[in-house]
Amino acid sequence: MSYPRRLIGSAFTIAEMEARKIRHDSTELWMRTVQPALWLLIFGEVFNNIRNLPIPGGFSYVQYIAPGVLAQSVLFVAIFYGITIVWERDVGLLTKLLSTPSPRLAIVVGKALAAGVRGIFQGVMIFALALIIGVNLRFDPLDVAGVFLVVVLFAMCFASLSMTLASFLKTRDRMMGIGQAITIPLFFGSNAIYPISLMPGWLQAVSRFNPLTYVVDAMRSMLLTGDYTGLPLDIAALLVSTAIFVACASVMLKRLIE
Amino acid sequence: MSITVATGVDGGSDTAGGQLAIQVLNLTKVYPGGTTAVDSITFDVKEGEIFGLLGPNGAGKTTTIKMITTLAKQTSGTVSVFGVDVSRSPERVRQMLGFVPQAISVDGDLTGYENLLIFAKLFYVNPDERKKRISEALEYFGLADRGDDLVKHYSGGMMRRLEIAQALVNRPRLLFLDEPSIGLDPYSRMQVIKQIKDLNRSFGTTIFVTTHDMMEADELCDRLAIMNMGKIAISGSPMELKKSVGGDVLTVSTSGTLPGTIPGELGTLVSAQQGELKILTDDGERAIPRVTDFLEGRGVTVESVSLSRPTLDDVFMKYAKSGLQEGSFRDARSARRSISRHGR
Repeated sequence: MSYPRRLIGSAFTIAEMEARKIRHDSTELWMRTVQPALWLLIFGEVFNNIRNLPIPGGFSYVQYIAPGVLAQSVLFVAIFYGITIVWERDVGLLTKLLSTPSPRLAIVVGKALAAGVRGIFQGVMIFALALIIGVNLRFDPLDVAGVFLVVVLFAMCFASLSMTLASFLKTRDRMMGIGQAITIPLFFGSNAIYPISLMPGWLQAVSRFNPLTYVVDAMRSMLLTGDYTGLPLDIAALLVSTAIFVACASVMLKRLIE
Repeated sequence: MSITVATGVDGGSDTAGGQLAIQVLNLTKVYPGGTTAVDSITFDVKEGEIFGLLGPNGAGKTTTIKMITTLAKQTSGTVSVFGVDVSRSPERVRQMLGFVPQAISVDGDLTGYENLLIFAKLFYVNPDERKKRISEALEYFGLADRGDDLVKHYSGGMMRRLEIAQALVNRPRLLFLDEPSIGLDPYSRMQVIKQIKDLNRSFGTTIFVTTHDMMEADELCDRLAIMNMGKIAISGSPMELKKSVGGDVLTVSTSGTLPGTIPGELGTLVSAQQGELKILTDDGERAIPRVTDFLEGRGVTVESVSLSRPTLDDVFMKYAKSGLQEGSFRDARSARRSISRHGR
């Protein structure tokens, strides 16, 4: 069998493995929708009443943060993939996976895809919630498909980053710590829940290097504004960082079992 | 219970027959901290045999396995599996081998069937044969009625069997088992041993096993090597190894006047004191009636005869004393822990 066929086949098998686990027990996924729901229902509704937030395009606050909340919840799902991989190392499963003839790259891509699958679930739930509470988003099929594509790429990007970190940190406790230490600054240092123009100057500068900013920007352009001028840059930034982290994780992964 | 005998083995295009399954040459592993885990070892495993690697924990067995299975890189030396160099073509090597690690490595959140399915796919088992092999394997390992249950509800013995079942589905030419029976009850252990032997006989699978259990090694292995402190202390068949620490000893209690010498064909007289004779011989069981006849012929009444034979334990104690007890205890504990983790 040719290398590309083995690569793609195995990546999908790993993703299938995760999908089957979710099918057996999806409790975790449902629990994970609680947090974004609270952001929209409580945080969003309360801040909706603040009239002088300088939101571009005249959108309501809940509309404004819906893409941000989606991006955040995908980020939270993805960043903890490093913990999963450490767990799998601890129970011997990783050794078993790495002793199969499947390429290491396929194992990383498969895990990253699985994070994407979870991300899509988050997306569906948040869209459903937005419909129920009457948040007006552009539900154009192409735009929605585009958002899901961004969700999958974004999840793959941060799941791979997380697996790369796991290769160095090696324990679940440390991964828990680093997960918190990464997600919160990324979230608050981005345009997810407030416009960048509100930030102090130094934070504005930092936010330009924050991948979450580009992801939220891409989602917002598809779900709210319909203005795609920034989209090519957003997608390019995301693709490049995903490729880099996937490559890092597949090279570093074997450190976990050495 | 039916197993179709494989006509060919997946992957591995090398010709079979009389070939070396594993050839290890001056293999060395030095960890970054400067610890030499494996110190220039050389050994062969022949195709079709069950080879045991014994030794106390920390002897370097697991590191050796990791290097042969391409999971760790050697510092120096070479390893080839069926003639394929592990550093040059790791994926080709992995296509030929199966690995059952020390910790139970089945996925508790999947069913038994799914565990077999996923790993069959990752091994690129022909999709037309996959389903049939999986149901045969589940049937053979007595897991057919539990195939659709989540593995976390299995017992430790069932998890182990499921892992060995994976080898029956993937049909590797070479199967590695790292402490396969640790943490199992005697019945499950017996079953696991039987199934490993069956796999070897039915498919000609070459088997590489590590264990602390000398009884098990004696029962299972055609040849074995004892490793200690990163080196191979001794290797050979269990019989040869036992011979190397001395033959059978007959202890004969008698009343009457003891002879000063015995004929050479009966064995060597080690001591004759206070009515008790100790005779060293090659084959104790056959020597018992002859020694008895000889003594009675001399008017000596034989009251009792006991036979003690060297065991692999004696061999082990001679070549690998250090660290044995601590090692096996720690292993059993970690294996038990891994079983309970899976059985959440």
